[in-house]
Amino acid sequence: MTLIDLSPGEVGTISNIKGNRHLQNRLVELGLLSGTDVRLVKCTPFNGPVEIKVRDSYLSIRWDDAQLVELK
Amino acid sequence: MLSWAKGENPPAVIVSVVDASNLSRNLYLTTQLLDLDIPTIVVLNMMDQLKDSSQIDIQKLKKELGVSAVVPISAKMNWGFDALKSAIQKSLVNVAQTNHQSQWINQDISHQIKLLIEPHFSSSKFAAAHALRRISRNESLNGENSHIEAIRNSILELGYNTDTLEATLRYKWIDGILPFVQPKIRTKIQKETRSERWDKILTHPWMGPAIFMAILYFIFQSIFTWASIPMDWIQAGIDNISMFVLSNMSPGMLRDILVEGIIGGVGAIVIFLPQILILSFFLTMLEDTGYMARVAFMLDKSMTKMGLHGKSILPLMSAYACAIPGIMSTRTIDSWKERLVTILILPLMSCSARLPVYTLLISAFIPPITVGGYFNLQGLTLVVMYFLGTVTALILAKIFSRFIKEKSSSSFVMELPPYRLPIARSVIRQVFIRGKLFLVNAGKIIMAISILLWFLASFPKVDASLTDVNPIHHSYAGKIGHAMEPVIRPLGFDWKIGIGLLTSFAAREVMVSTMATIYNVEDRGDETVNLREAMRNDVDVKTGVPVYTPLIALALMVFYVFAAQCMATFAIVRQETNSWKWPLFMIAYLTILAYTGAFIVYRGGLLLGYS
Repeated sequence: MTLIDLSPGEVGTISNIKGNRHLQNRLVELGLLSGTDVRLVKCTPFNGPVEIKVRDSYLSIRWDDAQLVELK
Repeated sequence: MLSWAKGENPPAVIVSVVDASNLSRNLYLTTQLLDLDIPTIVVLNMMDQLKDSSQIDIQKLKKELGVSAVVPISAKMNWGFDALKSAIQKSLVNVAQTNHQSQWINQDISHQIKLLIEPHFSSSKFAAAHALRRISRNESLNGENSHIEAIRNSILELGYNTDTLEATLRYKWIDGILPFVQPKIRTKIQKETRSERWDKILTHPWMGPAIFMAILYFIFQSIFTWASIPMDWIQAGIDNISMFVLSNMSPGMLRDILVEGIIGGVGAIVIFLPQILILSFFLTMLEDTGYMARVAFMLDKSMTKMGLHGKSILPLMSAYACAIPGIMSTRTIDSWKERLVTILILPLMSCSARLPVYTLLISAFIPPITVGGYFNLQGLTLVVMYFLGTVTALILAKIFSRFIKEKSSSSFVMELPPYRLPIARSVIRQVFIRGKLFLVNAGKIIMAISILLWFLASFPKVDASLTDVNPIHHSYAGKIGHAMEPVIRPLGFDWKIGIGLLTSFAAREVMVSTMATIYNVEDRGDETVNLREAMRNDVDVKTGVPVYTPLIALALMVFYVFAAQCMATFAIVRQETNSWKWPLFMIAYLTILAYTGAFIVYRGGLLLGYS
């Protein structure tokens, strides 16, 4: 299960982040560690970026990148 | 920061400013600063955002981080600065207080790191952090790849992801101390903030874009309506100054330079200050409230379809004011390719320097009639020029992105900050800086060119009684313009426009002051010439045919939509792309586009029977 399998409003816990090292580090630096809770806030039409809430901030990440965030 | 660590003039103290309402994300950079082993003061800003200032245990935070001081402030409410100043002073006197305790590298890993660095370096905190970064990136310290491979493997066996090791450890450590520092604050991920509720409307799938379009419309509407009042004042002021100089100075060369060169030239530009101030005011507001990030979020998908990036929207909008701050603001775009494409097309967004040229030509040659019921033909022409530039920019972005190779992978990871009421003094400062930049430009480039041009147009002096032609034709400027005529004649342009095109390369708005100077010199009268009237009434002395027609004005405007004319832009592109290749490419493609565009409009118009 990945981030985009959540429906808006649902919360999941990150288990792993795939993808290249650059992207992995960008996401971890923003606080998306394995074990961190994340809520999908909203999606945009045509598989545009999604908005998530993690720690105390709202972040926007692209659909393709959200697919790389695996949840427990 | 890294040069400080090497010991080249390290600062006496580091002040790390963090957002008190979002500590876990904000302390990340602080942990990196602490690695430098320089006395550090942590400033908790935005304390006003907390419900209760006792939510953060200041003493505990100071102890856990091992910093010289932790000072709560609110920049918005303007409090806490005295405490901060005395904390800085104290840390300068009391250098002994630099015992950082931060232990973000845990036991398992620090053991591995010792194995890596001890054979080569003394084991300082900075060396440890540096080694850890090398491990994360799989880069060896001294070329021994097998060594780092082995260490990565043993860290992997301990159950860590080696690729993200540094960031993971820093967060784990912060997450470990925060429950003690702010025991009452529990991150409730389900809780909707006020901003999230606002976003239900503001980034709604279809209401969001509609609201954005409405805001854009409002901004452009106000640029043209609100600005007209102060613009009239400035015009009146300039007229008064030249009248004053004319009536108080004896006729002579100095008076001519002052009135025809400086006041005529600079005055034609200063008048656009109100529009620039209004546009930068709106852009600063959109940026400071946090709305701009939402626009990037909403438009990212359509922007990537066109070869751009969600974050291209701010540069594109800034470029309506001026391409230079636009180009500089592309730095936030994560992908090199999308950033480069944004820079390449940015000069096509009609900047405010083109506005003087458009307004002059429109008011002189486009009749103020109503078309299609309620559209003013003059306003419509202006909109068409902006539209032409923008649409061409988007089409070219798509084309360029097919030919430019990607250096790094593109991503769009961005924080959507909470909506905030902008701080008045910060908005005022931003707008002031923009206005000052514009005026300094006007002062320097435009004044210099106006004076130079006045000389070129006035000399060599020909005895007027010997010839029936206006002496300006025999001046240096006249000779240059006439030499250019064969090239620009197919576009319908005469020698005067030729000089304008040449001087426009310094800055587009110089076109207007150039024409003003030329007509002022040509007129030889005492009064400053009304440029609009002068251009409209200009006729060929031999044939009596008007020199400029609406069709020529239109071709000239189209030329200005596309042409590469601002030296400062290309200097900035050179600086930002670090090569001459891209600015030269831009000059080439924009020039071809401008010539072709003007040619099609003029020749096409003639074929269709317009004049």
